[in-house]
Amino acid sequence: MTGQTTKLYKEYLIEEFGVTEEPFYVPIGDEIELFEAAYAQKLPVLFKGPTGCGKTRFIEYMAWRLRHSSARVAGDGDGLLDNRLALITIACHEDLTSSDLVGRYLLEHDSTRWIDGPLTRAVKVGAICYLDEIVEARKDTTVLIHPLTDHRRILPIEKQGILLQAHEDFLLVISYNPGYQSALKDLKQSTRQRFVSIEFDYPPRELEAKIVEHESGVDADAAMALAKVGEKVRNLRDHGLQEGASTRLLIYAGKLIAQGISPRRACQVAVTWAVTDDHQVHRSIEEVVSSIFPA
Amino acid sequence: MGLSDEIVGAAQEELRKYPSSVGEEFQRAVRMMEETVPPAQLEEWVKEGLSLTRLTVRSWEAASEFFRVSPTVVRGRSYTTFQEWTRWGNVLCQDSPTMAVAYFRASPGVVDEIDAEHIPTWASVGRGLYKGTWKSTALAGRFFEASPGLLRSLSFQELLRFTKIIDMLSHRSYDLAVECIGLARDTFPRLSGDRDAFISLLSALGEGNWRQVKGAFEVGSRALQKVERVQGPRFLRLAQKVAQADTADLPAFLTEASDALGELDRHTHATVLGMAEVLVDLAPGTVVEFIKSCPIVLRRINDQQLALWFREGIRLLRETEDGGMAYFKVESAHSEEMLDLISSGVELDRVKDILRLYCLALAGIEMDIAVTQELVGKDIGWVSKAHATTEGTTVFLPPVVDQYPTKEENFTWYKVVSTHQVAHLEFGSFDFRFDRPATLFEDLRLSLAPVERKPKGPGAAAGNGSQATKDQQAWITDVSHFFDLFEDRKLILDIFTVVEDARLDYLVKADYPGIRDSYRKVQQGALKARPSVEGLPAREALMEFLVQWSLGAEEGLMVPQEYAEEVRALARIASTLLAPRARVEDTAEAALRIYEVLSRIPNREADDWEEVEAGGEDAEGAEPPKEMNESGAGASPPEAQPRDEQAYRSPQDVDYRGDFKPELTQLLAQLRMLQEQANLPGAAPPQGLGKEQLEELLARSAELEIPTADGQIPMGAGLFANNLLREAGVSNPQSPDYPSHLFVHSDEEHGALEVTEPQTYLYDEWDFRAGDYKPRWCMVREKALPEGEVTFYQTTLQNYAGLISRVQRQFELVLPEAFRKIKRLPDGEEFDLDAVIEAIVDRRVGSSPSDKLYWRRNKVIRDVAVVFLLDMSASTAEAIEDHRRRAEDWDAPEDPGEYMVWLRARRAQGLRRSYKRIIDVEKESTVLLIRALETIGDTYGIYGFSGYGRENVEFFVIKDILEPFGERIMRRIDKIAPLHATRMGPAIRHATRKLARLDAKTKILFLISDGRPQDRGYSREGVEKEYAVHDTKMAMAEARRMDITPFCLTVDRSGHDYLKTMMSDMGYEVLDDITQLPERLPYLYRKLTV
Repeated sequence: MTGQTTKLYKEYLIEEFGVTEEPFYVPIGDEIELFEAAYAQKLPVLFKGPTGCGKTRFIEYMAWRLRHSSARVAGDGDGLLDNRLALITIACHEDLTSSDLVGRYLLEHDSTRWIDGPLTRAVKVGAICYLDEIVEARKDTTVLIHPLTDHRRILPIEKQGILLQAHEDFLLVISYNPGYQSALKDLKQSTRQRFVSIEFDYPPRELEAKIVEHESGVDADAAMALAKVGEKVRNLRDHGLQEGASTRLLIYAGKLIAQGISPRRACQVAVTWAVTDDHQVHRSIEEVVSSIFPA
Repeated sequence: MGLSDEIVGAAQEELRKYPSSVGEEFQRAVRMMEETVPPAQLEEWVKEGLSLTRLTVRSWEAASEFFRVSPTVVRGRSYTTFQEWTRWGNVLCQDSPTMAVAYFRASPGVVDEIDAEHIPTWASVGRGLYKGTWKSTALAGRFFEASPGLLRSLSFQELLRFTKIIDMLSHRSYDLAVECIGLARDTFPRLSGDRDAFISLLSALGEGNWRQVKGAFEVGSRALQKVERVQGPRFLRLAQKVAQADTADLPAFLTEASDALGELDRHTHATVLGMAEVLVDLAPGTVVEFIKSCPIVLRRINDQQLALWFREGIRLLRETEDGGMAYFKVESAHSEEMLDLISSGVELDRVKDILRLYCLALAGIEMDIAVTQELVGKDIGWVSKAHATTEGTTVFLPPVVDQYPTKEENFTWYKVVSTHQVAHLEFGSFDFRFDRPATLFEDLRLSLAPVERKPKGPGAAAGNGSQATKDQQAWITDVSHFFDLFEDRKLILDIFTVVEDARLDYLVKADYPGIRDSYRKVQQGALKARPSVEGLPAREALMEFLVQWSLGAEEGLMVPQEYAEEVRALARIASTLLAPRARVEDTAEAALRIYEVLSRIPNREADDWEEVEAGGEDAEGAEPPKEMNESGAGASPPEAQPRDEQAYRSPQDVDYRGDFKPELTQLLAQLRMLQEQANLPGAAPPQGLGKEQLEELLARSAELEIPTADGQIPMGAGLFANNLLREAGVSNPQSPDYPSHLFVHSDEEHGALEVTEPQTYLYDEWDFRAGDYKPRWCMVREKALPEGEVTFYQTTLQNYAGLISRVQRQFELVLPEAFRKIKRLPDGEEFDLDAVIEAIVDRRVGSSPSDKLYWRRNKVIRDVAVVFLLDMSASTAEAIEDHRRRAEDWDAPEDPGEYMVWLRARRAQGLRRSYKRIIDVEKESTVLLIRALETIGDTYGIYGFSGYGRENVEFFVIKDILEPFGERIMRRIDKIAPLHATRMGPAIRHATRKLARLDAKTKILFLISDGRPQDRGYSREGVEKEYAVHDTKMAMAEARRMDITPFCLTVDRSGHDYLKTMMSDMGYEVLDDITQLPERLPYLYRKLTV
């Protein structure tokens, strides 16, 4: 035995992580053009849409795409390695404080050391900062991003007593799901009116089938059937379901099917039980599934 | 032979002292006696007669009767018997001549019926009834008098037993005993084989239940007629055992049990009685309930399954009697579950929600599921109760399916049927657009002109030609437009229906592979039920062929030989339609082509039949015959009608496809749409919403089966038109805004309720003795409280100005508590300097420092939703002073009629009052509370509740939870008034339901009452007040299970005793001084929510 240990995982600095492989993304409308235009003008963007419909995948795809096109423009093959257009994703939660975004002092030996928060890093290196599910964050935290989103593009760091002017490539993108948040968690007007909004919804049946087929590796028929399940279950939104079955869930079901699980069972665990705990609704969805998939 | 004249003369001489009738009777009798009786004995007879006459003052009457019947009695009997008979007459006469008269008079009838040796017994038994009083004489007399009649249906032994019963009764009441003899004479002949058992039953009633004997006679024969004949004695033995349990009411048992049995199939009586016999040994009280439930239960399960259900009941009964009782009454949830588990049938009620969501998922639009009866009840044209159907927004299904041996299969039937019905929506059956091109056929319909047709009747729209048609244009749906192209609307509708159903079946099977097999099975089932094609008149035969082909019949279909070519054409056209792209317009085109073929075929008997292969035809050459393009479908006049042609009759319905009425459905949709437009603010009233045009249109439709008598405009058309308009919401019925006090009373004894109106909700009720819920027991009717004046609100604000500002200040203080700096956290906004210093110190001294070094401003968002439930029972009308004095009790009469009188009196008292009532204090407190709640910004709802009986729990909205506060609410507060009783359970459950829908961290249910819960029937067997308390407690517990904090505040000072049970570990407070309420209420609320 050598004393060497092999790392089984990869470690990145936050701002070093970029999307290197082209993510699979099927556009539903003109969202790619819209986003590119917004990026060119550095307009902050808001994604609205139900869970699992492809918001995160889209931002990954755009990060990759923009990074490539800018690299091509620069004509510099190695440009891919710098930190420009990294994608920094922050999942928001209700305890997210401003220090979590901006940074904080840590105790180190007998002194303190400042470390930047992810937002600060993105501002410094010119990354795309993606705040996922922004409404989950506390309202006082949300206010923090306001100066970054208008013409000023600055981030004040009170505790250090500095103002950061954002890197020219920096872009703020936020997302939220208007569906299930209660009135209490609505996005404030002063916040929402700082963004260009792109709405997402589940793709139409044919497109969704294509996506499911690609992502899960099931055959076209099964993918089509899964897409049909998705469509039918979504009809139940607001009638016992808060949200319809997401494309993500359909892909999960597809993956299980690809692994040899029977389609009915796969839909049961990946779709039916995932979307709700209501027993009656379970039964109804199962009936739909059993109509679509033969035993 | 002959008696010496001397003796006769002496006797006559003596008898002359008495009324002449005696002598006359004697003379007549002597002559007859001489023929049969030897002189020696005759002489003795004369002596006996004379001594009888002399016996007492009035005994001559008996003697007269004695002489009269003697010749009859003596005939054919030994003289000793006769002597014995005479002797007994003498004995009876010594007691009472009246009795003897009756004895003698009845004798001829009796001696024929009984053996000679029984005569003395009979006499002595009758004499036994005589107790020396006048009344007993009458009774004994009545007994002798009735004896011949009784003996015609009873054996002598039975008569003796019956007499014992009479004797027993006479100890209590002679009148009753006399009456019973009369009843018995009428009843026994009707009982035939059951007499013996019936007498045993009566004897078993015994001394204790003597009053019921008469009742038993009264209902007995009627009851036994309802019971299977051979089971009669068994039934009576059962009744006897029930009767021996002293609480039972025998006549009631006989009536109720036999009524229930009467509803059953006679062959099940043995089974049911067998079970009842088991039950009677365990718990006699439950027997009647069990039998009464049988008709209901046996509607859902068969008699073998009944045994399973019964066994479970017995098990439960051994645990607790009340539980078993509720079980056998089918008034417990467990009982229903059990039934459901056992039965193979599926009730729509049980699966309605599942199917509703299923249909909704498939169709993608709001769907409802209802029982077919409901649509039929609307009287808008659908008449079939057995067939599933849809009218565009609701799928109607039959209430129960029990065609298959297992539940799954029955449920699958429902599923298949709903899938087919929803397919109408999913694949756009009703979405027919006349001018949208078809995908598979050439669009011929566009080139056809509508057929000129005469109105069905000479009545309504006959005269005013073009104007009327113009008006109708606005009305004509695309489907009508299409149908108008054809001469024979009925034929085209039938074709369109079959073809469209075939298209849907195809698409469903293609799109839903999972249901394919079950679908086929249902189709095959439907196919089996079809009549044979062979033998039908030609046109109907081809139509039937089409139906069976559409159901997937593949071989063995017979068709008339001469039309084999046409059949192949039909199959070709129809098969073309079966493609994934097929739209409803294609159906129309196919129908049009088929019509062309069928309308040319005369509807007469065909001679030769041949078999055709229906399936597998290649879909080529689906073009219609050439000539059609020129002539138009409708223009083809039936060629010279042969004499043997029969009127065309529509094929019989396919049950799973149901009533397809595209024209009506489109019409209804159109009406609804027009109405919606009209309802938009500022919209002009819709044009042409006239009833006449609608009637005219309906009269033409082939979808309505209105009896058209004598070519008149059908009677029904106007009615249908009205109902259709109502269904579409055109006429707005006046909504009564003050809660009506017209109570509906359902049978208190039996059964779950059903929701019949909007804004009514059903809730279970907890039966603590049975330990189970009574399913769907209470009906809550929600209504907004009417609005009164604002003055009350304003006056209260003025009167309590001081208190209000105090309360408001307290509430304002609650808010800042929300922003508290929390220290010593492992993570947070910034270092907590104190903690950091401590940590460094710790480290310096070598102990391990805490890692809780941060502080954070914790923003606690106040997220409270609360519902206040105000007791609006009649008792709140009491003056505060009164209230202090007396322990409150609900003394309202049970009878609804009396109750209304009582209530009016009580109200009238209230009007004259000048004192302050409990309800006034409640109202004032509400005002204060609203002020406080508005300050703090919590979500709140205020409701009042009252009611009378389980079917009338009234739930008044004073402020709905999400309704913003405003003047209307101030006005409603003014109208809070004492009403009826307090059935707390359902009110709490309804409030819980409202709260549960909200998304709030803290949910509170605040109940303000003035006494224990009580209502008509809100108790077990009418007495146990505990029942109400326990139900309320259970309702509270249910609320708590949904994360709602219940709290009860009562102003009933004696409240401690029951509140301890009712609220057990939940919060409550008893307010000693009701005047404290306005102050106390906001205080408690504040405490509760912090």
